[in-house]
Amino acid sequence: MSTLDYLFQGFGTALIWYNILFAFVGVLIGTAVGVLPGIGPMSGVALLIPVTASITGGLPPESAATSAIILLAGVYYGAMYGGSTTSILLNTPGESSSVVTTLDGYQMAKKGRAGSALSIAAIGSFVAGIITLVALIALAKPLSAVALKFGPAEYFSLMLLGLGAVSGLAGKSVTKALIMTIFGLLLGTIGIDNVSGIARFTFDVPWLYQGIEFLTIAVGLFAVGEVFKTILEKEEEDTEIAKINNLLPSKAELKESAGPIVRGSLLGFFVGILPGAGATLASFFSYILEKKISRTPSKFGTGTIAGVAAPESANNAASGGAMIPLLTLGIPGSGTTAILMGALMMYNVQPGPLLFEDHPQVAWGLIASMFIGNIMLLILNLPLVKVFAKIIQTPKQFLIPMIIAISIFGVYAVQVSTNDLLLLLGCGLLGYFLSKNDYPIAPLVLGLVLGPMVENNLRRALTISNGDFSVFFTRPISLAFLIITFLWLLIPFIMKRRGKDVIINIEG
Amino acid sequence: MALKFDYIASVLFLTVGVLFIIGSKQLESSSYGSAVGPDIFPLILGGALILLSIRLFYETFITKNQQGTKEKLQYKPFLIIFAATLFYILTLETIGYVISTFLFLFVCFQTLERSKVILSLIISACFSGLVYFLYVEVLKGTLPDWPIWF
Repeated sequence: MSTLDYLFQGFGTALIWYNILFAFVGVLIGTAVGVLPGIGPMSGVALLIPVTASITGGLPPESAATSAIILLAGVYYGAMYGGSTTSILLNTPGESSSVVTTLDGYQMAKKGRAGSALSIAAIGSFVAGIITLVALIALAKPLSAVALKFGPAEYFSLMLLGLGAVSGLAGKSVTKALIMTIFGLLLGTIGIDNVSGIARFTFDVPWLYQGIEFLTIAVGLFAVGEVFKTILEKEEEDTEIAKINNLLPSKAELKESAGPIVRGSLLGFFVGILPGAGATLASFFSYILEKKISRTPSKFGTGTIAGVAAPESANNAASGGAMIPLLTLGIPGSGTTAILMGALMMYNVQPGPLLFEDHPQVAWGLIASMFIGNIMLLILNLPLVKVFAKIIQTPKQFLIPMIIAISIFGVYAVQVSTNDLLLLLGCGLLGYFLSKNDYPIAPLVLGLVLGPMVENNLRRALTISNGDFSVFFTRPISLAFLIITFLWLLIPFIMKRRGKDVIINIEG
Repeated sequence: MALKFDYIASVLFLTVGVLFIIGSKQLESSSYGSAVGPDIFPLILGGALILLSIRLFYETFITKNQQGTKEKLQYKPFLIIFAATLFYILTLETIGYVISTFLFLFVCFQTLERSKVILSLIISACFSGLVYFLYVEVLKGTLPDWPIWF
């Protein structure tokens, strides 16, 4: 079957009534998550996994996985749309990926052009979403065909590359990021070893036999940790929202932003594919690029429409680009995609080159649903942006305890154990202290999710080579991956030595 | 503050690394005639963690002692909410989902802001009731039931 046939089948899946509903709920919650400062896409997706798991419980396994991933991915790219709303109206980015948008977006709002800034952001995100989807469809098959030729040694090195890249770009200190990665990998070894069947580091506690559940850790570290931070560092903020008048951009504004949207989308897409880089970096880069090639660079920062169009397209494109390594190689490049991968694995669907052969329904259903989701987002964000702007005013008094309650409900619904709830609370505390002291959390979750796969490939490669470690260096592709990993970690280090500022990825 | 944390963290991570190495030494080193067993991966990781925590200790040591601006932290509401969450977790299975969630939400709402008592009562009741109804009655999931004496 050709790619187009698969795509049509995907639409068949995505257009089933409940999948449309799932996509809608996903992008709706995603937009809300994007608008609310304090809940990022990572905690949003992590919080919703248990909820989707219980809703999809009645469906056959593969349809359940498809519906769940449609909803969760919707939250992910929906958050990219929503993040711009607060940046423009309040000068407070809802997500780290919308930080750059505040520079020009808020200035535009001050001048009474909030409406056109919002609509250009939505249109830019939509165009970027569609461009990335087309690229995703074109690249999916060839990439997974290449990946199928990889042996365990190549896979092991590729995963090291993914882990190294995320650690190299996350947070201020590479040492701290690497410590978090290794700590995550170590946590992943707890439980019954699935090759030899030996219980490792369980100390005969039955609760530990099935291993430490990634969901508990992710919800605890991200969602609960974030809530604790909000309670401890309570700040009174004046919520003065800029008025939105005419929503439609003028023809001149559309013409002015066409170039930045296309450039932002392409740049964002390629940055998104790179492991470790992500929406935040993509939006930074595209803003810098627009400023460089603009004929009037002094206009940037005073409310030019290109300064909104480019970064908003780029962060949305990056979130689509990040799906490529996840779906075709099975390697998540960021914290949020790691959580999506964990969700797929909960349904026994292994992302990777075989995904397109073994579970075409999941892969193509997801891709097709992203088309539908992007259209929904455009409709949601243009006329309803005023409604979403109201969400910002949700009193924290009610929001914060409810997030804790949802976390506890979610973890209990999936795990049915008080031990997991205590672990959740502990992780919340840990997450607060770690992120307060610049220990990035995303690498830990990535390590925990990838750990078993890294180990399996390492052991398979070593078994084939009879315990000889040189197999990783003699196979050319594997060697290339290792060299790139090494350079990735080394170059920022050297640049820091030379006193250069290295842009880091805060979002993870 | 941050530096002190880094010192403690590096020592703790070092300990974790050492413990994992000791733990993996007790595992079998081979399985079914293969040269590699379940111990190799944690062994490598433990070693890497030890090296990295030594590096973190060194990095903290050479960083000049910068005293950052101390921000005021809201300890009181945090401790109350933390205690409430712990109490919620521990009583969840004995007094049931609806009652414990209701109490937890109400206490937290009032801790964060001592106002809107009636609204807090209504929202807590609606949230706990609605989640229980949707999850247990509609989706047929399992949540701790009402207590026997209720």
